[in-house]
Amino acid sequence: MLFRLECKKILRSAAFLIYCVISVLFFATNYYSDCKGGVYLGEGTKIVEDHDLIMHGALNSLMGEYASNKYVCYPFGYYKAVHLKDKDQQKIEGYLKEMTGTDDKQFEELLASGEKYYLGMPDKPEYGFGDIKMTDGFSYDRFLEIMADTDDMLGGGSDYAPESLTALFSQVAMNEEELEDEYKTFIEDDKVTGGLARLFCDYNGIVLAILPVFVAAWLTANDRKRRMHELIYTRDISSAKLVLTRYAALVSTMFIPIVLEMIIALVQAVVEYKGESLDMTVMFTLPTFWLLPNLLFTTAAGVLITEVFSAPTAIFVQVIIWFKATINGSRMLSGQIGRFDLICRHNSPVDRSTFLMNQDNFIFSRIFWTVISLVLIALAVYAYDAKRGGRFNDIRLFGKDGLLRRKA
Amino acid sequence: MGNNIIIRNMNKFYGKKQALFDIDLTIEQGMFGLLGRNGAGKTTLMKTLAALHRKKDGEVIICGIPVEKAKKIRSMTGYLPQDFSMYPNMRTDEALDYLGALSGIPSKERKQRVESLLKKVNLTEHRRKKVKELSGGMKRRLGIAQALLHDPKVIIVDEPTAGLDPEERIRFRNLLCEVAENRIVILSTHIVGDVESTCENIAIMDEGRILWKGTVRELLENARGHIYTANIEKQYMSQIKKEYIVTGMVTQADYTTVRLVSDAEPDLPNAVLTEPDLEGAYMYCLHSNGCNVKGGEE
Repeated sequence: MLFRLECKKILRSAAFLIYCVISVLFFATNYYSDCKGGVYLGEGTKIVEDHDLIMHGALNSLMGEYASNKYVCYPFGYYKAVHLKDKDQQKIEGYLKEMTGTDDKQFEELLASGEKYYLGMPDKPEYGFGDIKMTDGFSYDRFLEIMADTDDMLGGGSDYAPESLTALFSQVAMNEEELEDEYKTFIEDDKVTGGLARLFCDYNGIVLAILPVFVAAWLTANDRKRRMHELIYTRDISSAKLVLTRYAALVSTMFIPIVLEMIIALVQAVVEYKGESLDMTVMFTLPTFWLLPNLLFTTAAGVLITEVFSAPTAIFVQVIIWFKATINGSRMLSGQIGRFDLICRHNSPVDRSTFLMNQDNFIFSRIFWTVISLVLIALAVYAYDAKRGGRFNDIRLFGKDGLLRRKA
Repeated sequence: MGNNIIIRNMNKFYGKKQALFDIDLTIEQGMFGLLGRNGAGKTTLMKTLAALHRKKDGEVIICGIPVEKAKKIRSMTGYLPQDFSMYPNMRTDEALDYLGALSGIPSKERKQRVESLLKKVNLTEHRRKKVKELSGGMKRRLGIAQALLHDPKVIIVDEPTAGLDPEERIRFRNLLCEVAENRIVILSTHIVGDVESTCENIAIMDEGRILWKGTVRELLENARGHIYTANIEKQYMSQIKKEYIVTGMVTQADYTTVRLVSDAEPDLPNAVLTEPDLEGAYMYCLHSNGCNVKGGEE
């Protein structure tokens, strides 16, 4: 009953209307227009388990990062630039010499052959390599040992983590026959809608990692803004029931436009692929499993941070999380999903094999973010109950009495 | 289970600043007035009773239940805050229905309660209006209706008549008296007239302390012998205001009749001792407790 009243309140709000408009516009200008007239396979790539290719790619990448002393890592799915101390740099240098079979002088020459470029910092050049070759007959097992140790030194989440090597360094262009096979997989194995559902989720995952925070922050801050919070605080209802009901109402209402988009996407697929055998359920099941954790997390974070601090703080924090998650996601647009990725990317209706290869990571990430969401909403219940009883009132991150200002 | 509110040696702090000092009060069934100037600590005390604030020490027992048991306290109290509103775009009946749902009242029963309460507070014809379309007085009446939704034993009303026109103020006081039957109603106000016409028992607060508690009659008795009237020529008025606590003035053609509070007989030619009114008694109480109340001082 209360759930229905909360849904009604959300559905009538301007924040929800704006959410719907942006969501539908994003869907129309990205997914819908991409799929209009059928999918374009383009010049696809595929991932192959080619040890020479892997070693070559990883060696050149490591050489560049060593020369720049800037190693890009994604611990827990988030971008981090690692700068090693001299001792560790020397160890990496040793590995590079071992893999290239060079002495000090030859190694200096190799280093000098790198292409220098600047990324924002005029006094900090970075280096790129592409032509450095492994020494003949280098053992792949030894290579894996070196990569594992390098990843450990970098704190994990680097490109050299053994589980990432194949996906990152062993991509090759498809030939025409392979492209035809890919299309056949799209039609026969994915039954069209399976592939389209992945593309649908790719776009909507981005939206659902940011937009819900606005609606969640609005609803959570609304009682105080409307000077109604004390009337509600003194009601009989338990804090858990109120916060969880509102959370459920937020998630349910915000999923409505996504479901409508699923229906439109399915109708579009039926029209575009007349005569093909389509899977009529996957356009609903896959997006629900893929996108719901994004919605659950963004909403829970919005509710919690607004409850403890304020709506602008919640939006600010979520924008940072979203920005980092999109940077991370854009590194691997085609299904190479990390275990802690909030935004799972697969910006292609095909390439089913890559997605399946990362299926374990995908499932892990979806469960991980669902669990995190439940933890956050449990904390929100605690915070609400504490505020209701006169604790934690007026905590702010920013402003005159903000925590950040106090520390400063 | 007692049918009263017992407060013993209760202290309340905001951080390091003490807001309430050793509050000791027993409130029985019926209307109880808590009178005090702005900033006296009335709202803090009201919020502590409504389980919205935590006391530091002492004891607060509401109808036999310690205030720490917030859930039980919430189920037996109705609260109308000083500065409240409701979702502006909700209809009047919807707002009540929503708050009723939060009180856990079943749908069917809620519908009946909303109907009867709207009738009681004379808002039936405005039930379809949005909250933002209601006048200040209507909103206060809606506020009382929401406080009564779950039929509480205790109603806490904080500064309910501030900003209302005289007609709405009288209507609101009468409404409070009606709902006080078989209940404890605590009316917190800085307007003496609100208490005078509705409450038998009162307490006076200032700077977080209870200065006085008892019946209205006792307060009037307490001031007996300290309230005077005098006819003052207009040119002496500013001097009189500086020297005495002036509680009332009636301007005549060439003089002004003033009511004033004084410890001893004023040194004025035509000052006569008069029957105390509640406003004068209240001012005398503040004055005799060392509060600066030279109300007429310019």
